[in-house]
Amino acid sequence: MSVALAVAVGGLFAVGTFLLLQRDLVRVVFGVAVVSQATFVYLIAMGGIDEGTQDLVPVLAVHGGGVPEIADPVVQALVLTAIVISFGTTALALVLSYRAYEENETMDVTEWTK
Amino acid sequence: MSRLVIAPLLVVVTTAVLTLALGRRPRVQRATSVAGAVGYVGTVSVAVWALVLGETAPGAAVYQVGDWPAPFGITLVLDGLSAFMLTIAAGVGLASILFSVRYVTPENQRVYYHPLFHMLLAGVTGAFLTGDLFNLFVWFEVMLVASYVFVAFYGTDHATAASFRYLVMNVFGSALMLVAVGGLYATTGTLNMADMARRLATPDAYGIDPAPVVGLSALLLAVFALKAGLVPFQFWVPAAYTAAPAPVTAMLAGVTKKVGIYAIVRLYFTVFAAATIPVDVAGLTGTSPLDFLAPVLGAMGVASILVGGFGAIGRDRLGGVFAYSSIGQVGFIAIPVAIAAAADPTGALRGVAIAAALVFALHHALAKGLLFLSVGAVEDATKTDRLRDLGGLAGHSPVLSGAVFVGLCSLIGLPPLTGFFGKFLAFDAAIRGLASDSGLLSALALVALLLGAALTILYATRVWVGGFWGRETAAVEVASVESGQVTVLVALAAAVVLVGVGFDPIYRFAETAATAALDGEAYVDIVGLNGGDGA
Amino acid sequence: MTVPIVLVVSISLFLQGHNLPGGGFIGGVLTTAAFVLIYVAYNLDFLESGVLGREVETGTSIFEHRTVTAYRRMLLAGLVVVLGSGFGGMIIGDPFLTQGYVHLDGIPIYHEVELASALVFDLGVYLVVVGSLLTIVSVVSGE
Repeated sequence: MSVALAVAVGGLFAVGTFLLLQRDLVRVVFGVAVVSQATFVYLIAMGGIDEGTQDLVPVLAVHGGGVPEIADPVVQALVLTAIVISFGTTALALVLSYRAYEENETMDVTEWTK
Repeated sequence: MSRLVIAPLLVVVTTAVLTLALGRRPRVQRATSVAGAVGYVGTVSVAVWALVLGETAPGAAVYQVGDWPAPFGITLVLDGLSAFMLTIAAGVGLASILFSVRYVTPENQRVYYHPLFHMLLAGVTGAFLTGDLFNLFVWFEVMLVASYVFVAFYGTDHATAASFRYLVMNVFGSALMLVAVGGLYATTGTLNMADMARRLATPDAYGIDPAPVVGLSALLLAVFALKAGLVPFQFWVPAAYTAAPAPVTAMLAGVTKKVGIYAIVRLYFTVFAAATIPVDVAGLTGTSPLDFLAPVLGAMGVASILVGGFGAIGRDRLGGVFAYSSIGQVGFIAIPVAIAAAADPTGALRGVAIAAALVFALHHALAKGLLFLSVGAVEDATKTDRLRDLGGLAGHSPVLSGAVFVGLCSLIGLPPLTGFFGKFLAFDAAIRGLASDSGLLSALALVALLLGAALTILYATRVWVGGFWGRETAAVEVASVESGQVTVLVALAAAVVLVGVGFDPIYRFAETAATAALDGEAYVDIVGLNGGDGA
Repeated sequence: MTVPIVLVVSISLFLQGHNLPGGGFIGGVLTTAAFVLIYVAYNLDFLESGVLGREVETGTSIFEHRTVTAYRRMLLAGLVVVLGSGFGGMIIGDPFLTQGYVHLDGIPIYHEVELASALVFDLGVYLVVVGSLLTIVSVVSGE
C-alpha cells in the first residue's frame, strides 16, 4: 500500500510541476490543482494506513465482523480542510486566468506585456 | 484560560461578516469597518496589557477553542512574542483602514473591500495567536486568499498578471508547507507546537526519531521566506506591491511580511530549538536545526539587502522604490535572526539579537506603512508616482512632505526616530556576533548591513531630491492633497517619532517578546498539555 | 427526475454528518450539484422561469440577477449562523465553538433522537457552501 501511495504522490507531483511550467494559462491552473491533490495523497500516506478494529471504527464494520483498513482520522480532517482551501484557491485561479485572458488577450503567459 | 486571548480574533471576524452584510449601505459599512478596527486596537491593547505587560499580568495566556484540551484541540496562545506582533498589526491595520476610507473610491469600497480587509487582518491575527501547526497553515491561507483578491483589485492587465503569479507561487508554497506539516506529524505524532517542542526535547521518552526534522524545517523555512519575500523568493514582491491599493500594500509590507518572520522565529526558536539532532547538510554541521538556520537565513538576508538596495536605486516609480526597499529591509530583520541562531543558546546574545529583529520589524511596519500610504496620497493628488514627473512637492504640500520626510529619515536611521534604534540594535547584534564568533559569515553579515545602510541613504535621498525638492512640475502644480489622508499620515509620522523618543518601554516589550520566543519550556508550561501524555 | 433524489440524498448526508460520513460541506456540495444539473440541462434562467414561475428580468448584469442575490444572501446567512453558533456556547460560559448534545427519548416513531449543537454549526457551513458555490457557478457561467 505505501509503495503504491509513494508512486502516486511522486507521479502527481511530477505531473503538477510539469503543468505549472507550461506557457498555457489553463494548464498552469490545472497544475495548481494537481499539486494540491498530490499533497493530499501525501498527507494521507504520512498519517499511515492501519488494520482497523471493531472498537476503533464501529461505523465501518461489515457483516461478519470484518473491518477494512483505515487511515489516520487526524490527517483525514487535515485533508478535508486543505481540500476546501484548495477548492477556493483553484476557483479564484480560474477566474483570475479568465480576467488575465480578457485583459491581455492571450492565454500564453510568455506573451504578457507586464 | 482567558477570553481576552480570542477576543481580537472574534472582533475582526465579526466585523468582516457585518461589513459583508452591510454592502448595500456604504456609509454604515464604512462606519462599521472603522469601528471594528478601533475595537480591534482596543481589544489587542487590553489583552496585551492584562495578559502580558501589566503589573499583575501572568505574562502569557492560553485559550482552548471548543473546550478541547491541548494537544487535541486548537490552542490559541498569547505570549510576549504574539503580543508584540499583534500590536504591530493593530497599529498598521487601524491606520490603513482609516486611510482606505478617504482613499479608495466609494464604488470600489462597496466591492467587498471592507470584508476582505478584515479577513486579511483575521488571517494575520490567527497566525500570530495559534499554537497549532496546521491551524497556522489555515490562517496563512485566509490571509493569502484575501491578498490575492487585493492584488487583482483594480482589474488591470498589470494587476491580474501580478495576482496570478502571486497565487501560483503561493499555492506551490502552501503545498510545500503541507508536505512539511505532514512530515512533522508523521515524525513527532503531534501538530500542537508545545507538544512538538516537548516531544523533540525528550525524543526517547516518546519513542520518536527526530532526524527528519532538519529537512522538514528547511521546507518550512522556504515557505516562510516566500511569505516574507526574502531572496531568492522575492520575485512576486514588486509587482504585487505596486498592483494592490496603497493601504493594502501598507498592510502587506507592514504586517503580512512579518507573519513569515514571526513563523520562522516561533517555530525555530520556540519549537525546533529543543531538539538535539546531528546536522550534516552540504558542509553545514551542528547539533540543532538552528545550526542549519543560521548560515542559510544569513545568506538569504545578505542577498535580500543587496537585491533590495540596488533594485530600489534603479526604480523610476515611488511604489517600485519602496517595494524593493522592503525586500532589503526584511534582510535587515533576517540577519539578526540568523545571528541569534548562531549564538550560544545560554548566552545573552541570542535574546539581544531577537529583540533587535523585533524592533526592526516594528520600525519597518511603521515607516513602510507610512511611506506606502504616502505613495497613495501622492498618486491620488498628482495622478502619477513616477519620480520623473514629480518635483517640488515639499513646497506645494509641506505637511504631506513632512510626513514622508520623517518616514525616509526613519528608513535611513536618524536618531531619535524608531529606525535609528532598529538599525542600531541590528548593528549591535552583528558586532557582538562577530566578537563571539569571528567567522567569515559574521563578517559578511556586518559588511552587508553597512552596505545596506549606505544603499538606503542613497535611494531615500534620491526619492526626496527627485520628488520633493526642486521646481514644481506640471503634475504637482495642479495637485490637491486630501486632508483626511494627510491626517492619517501625520498620525503615523508622529508614531514613528514618539516610539523613537519614548523607546525604553518599547525595548522592554521587545525583550519580553524575545524572552518568550526563546523559552520553549515556558511555552510548553503555558499551553498546559493536560490532554494526553506519552506517545 | 434526478434532481429531487440528489436533493434528498444531500439533505440526508447533511443530517447524518454528526456520527457518520457526511456533514455540511458534503451535503452543500451535493445540493449545488443538483442545481448545476438544472443549469446544464436547461439554462441560467430556467430556475426562475421554469421552477419558480417568475418573470426573468432582462438586461441586468449577472451580479444583480435575482437568483445570484439570493445566493449571496444565503452565504451571508450561513456566515451569521456559523459565528452565532460559536458565540452561543460563550453565553453560558463555555469557550468559543464549544459543542454539546442531548439524547431525547420517547419520541414517536424514532424512539430516540440525538440532538447535537454541532448541527447548527453544520447548517451554517451548508448555507455558506451552497451560497458561495452557486454564486461562483452562476456568475462565472453568466460571463
